[in-house]
Amino acid sequence: MIKSTENENSKIERINDPTNSIAIEVEKLKKHFKGKRGMEDVKAVDGISFHVEKGEVFGLLGTNGAGKTTTINILTGVLLPTEGTASVGGYNVEKEMKKIKKMISVCPQEPALYKFLSGLGNIKFFGNMYLMPKDKIIERGEELLKLLGLYDARNRLSRGYSGGMKRQLSLIISLINEPDILFLDEPTVGLDPRNRRKVWDFLKAQKDQKNTIILTTHYIEEAEALCDRVAIMDYGEIIAMGPPQELIEEHQVKNLEEVFMKITGRSILEGI
Amino acid sequence: MKLRRILTLVKLEMTRQVMDPLVLVFTTLLVPILILIFGLAMGDSYGWGPDYSIFEIMLPGFLVYAGLLTIYDVAAGVGGERETGIQKRINTTPLTTAEYLLSQMASYTIKPIIQLALGLGIAVAVGYRPLIFFGTTYSIGAKFAGCLLVIAFMVVFSFSSVGLGLITASFVNTSNAAGGLAFAFIVPQQIFGSFIPPAIFGMDALGWVFPSWYATDAIGMLFAGTSFYFWRLWVRFGVLLGFTIVIYIIGILLYERKKRR
Repeated sequence: MIKSTENENSKIERINDPTNSIAIEVEKLKKHFKGKRGMEDVKAVDGISFHVEKGEVFGLLGTNGAGKTTTINILTGVLLPTEGTASVGGYNVEKEMKKIKKMISVCPQEPALYKFLSGLGNIKFFGNMYLMPKDKIIERGEELLKLLGLYDARNRLSRGYSGGMKRQLSLIISLINEPDILFLDEPTVGLDPRNRRKVWDFLKAQKDQKNTIILTTHYIEEAEALCDRVAIMDYGEIIAMGPPQELIEEHQVKNLEEVFMKITGRSILEGI
Repeated sequence: MKLRRILTLVKLEMTRQVMDPLVLVFTTLLVPILILIFGLAMGDSYGWGPDYSIFEIMLPGFLVYAGLLTIYDVAAGVGGERETGIQKRINTTPLTTAEYLLSQMASYTIKPIIQLALGLGIAVAVGYRPLIFFGTTYSIGAKFAGCLLVIAFMVVFSFSSVGLGLITASFVNTSNAAGGLAFAFIVPQQIFGSFIPPAIFGMDALGWVFPSWYATDAIGMLFAGTSFYFWRLWVRFGVLLGFTIVIYIIGILLYERKKRR
C-alpha cells in the first residue's frame, strides 16, 4: 500500500493549484493480481510513471493485456494500486476518490448501459448521478445525441440499439457531466470504419474545447489522429512515450505500429 | 448523502421490474398465488392441530417468504449489473455506498409490502380471518397498532434480506451465479423459518438462528390475536433488528471490498 509522505502531500497541493498545468500524475505505479492455484502473481501494471497536462489528449497504446485498462481502473477508483502514487486533478486516488469522482467521467470498454431504459433515459440517469440540473441534462443530452446521430433513436430502449449505437450512447453518457478529465477505454472498438471516423471527429471537437482526455486504444490511426502524446505499454510497462510524430522520427519509422514493432519485435494488433 | 440520487436509483429499480414482465410476475405474484392455492386446498385441513388449519399456520410464513425472495432479487440484480459493467460504471460516479444501499433497501422493501397486502387480501378472500384485524374484542387503535407491527416486521425482515442479497452479490460476478448462491440463504430460512414452522416437527430451536423465524413467529402471534404490548413480540423484533444490523455491517464491508479491490 502507498504511504503518503510529506513530499507527496505537498506535491498534491501543488497540482491542486489552478496555475498548475498537470491534470494527472502517476509515479512508479504498480498493480499486481494474486496468482490463482499457486500460479505467479500477474503484474498487470509494473512501475509506470507519466503525467498528463491539462487540456491534453493522452493515449495509452498497447496490445490486449498490456495494462492500459488496469491503469485507467486505478485512476478512476475501480482498483487500488499495489504500489506507487497517482493523482487526478491534484487529488490522491487512494484517499480522495470522492473529490476525483466529481470531476471525471469514464467511458468503459463495454457499453455498460441499462438495457431497459431508453437512450435518453440512460443519459438522464447518469446526469442525475452527477446532480446536474434536470433541464441541463436534457439540453446537453439532446445536443450530444444530435452530434452523434442518435437523436431519432433517443426514446427507443437501448436494448434495441446496434452495437455501434450502444458504444456511441456510452460515449455520450461519459460527456453528459462536462467532465474536467475524461477517461475513454477503447472508445471505438467494435465500431465500423464510418462510425469510428464519426467518433474521431467528435473527439477532435472535444479536444478543441481543451478537455483533458486520457484514452486507451490499440488502433494506431486513432492514437495518431487524436493524441497529443502517447505512452506505448507492453507487459505492464511503458516502453516509449512522447508525441506520436516525435516517436516516429526518433525511431526512423513510418508510424506508431512500426515503433511498437521495432521495440518489441511484435505487432500491436497481435492477439486482437 | 443526496436524496436525488437515491430516488433516481429507486425509480430505476421500479422501471427494471415493470419492464421485465417475467421478473415482475415471479417477484410480485408468486407468493399471492401460492397463498391462493394453499388457501383453497388447505383452508379446512386441521392435520397439524385442532385449533388452526394448516393454511392458517402456513400463512405468516408465506408472507415472510415474499421478503426472503428479496435475497434473490438483490443478488441477481447486482450480479447482472456487475456482468454488464454497470456496477463498475456507477462506481466511477459520485454515488456513495450509503446512497446505493438506501436505494436498494427502499426499492426492495416496496415489493414485499405489496405482496403482504395482496397475500392478506387473498387470504381474507378465501375465508381466513386474522384476529388482529377481525377480532371483535379489539379496539380500532389495537387493530391499527397490530397492523403497523406486522408491517414493521416485514420491513425489517426485508431489510435483512437486502443485506443478505448484497452479501451474496459480493461473492459472484454474474446474475446466474448470484441467483444460485442466493438460495444458500433462502432455502434454510424457508425450511426452518417460513411457511413450514419447525415447531411442527419439534425443531423450533433450529429456527432461532434464522431471521425469518422471528418474523414468521411474530406475525403468526399477531394474526392469532396477541396484544401489541406482549413482551415476546418485542423480543422477536429486537432480535430481528440485531440480525439485520449485523448482516448490514458484513454486507457493507464485503460490498466495499468488491467495489474497489
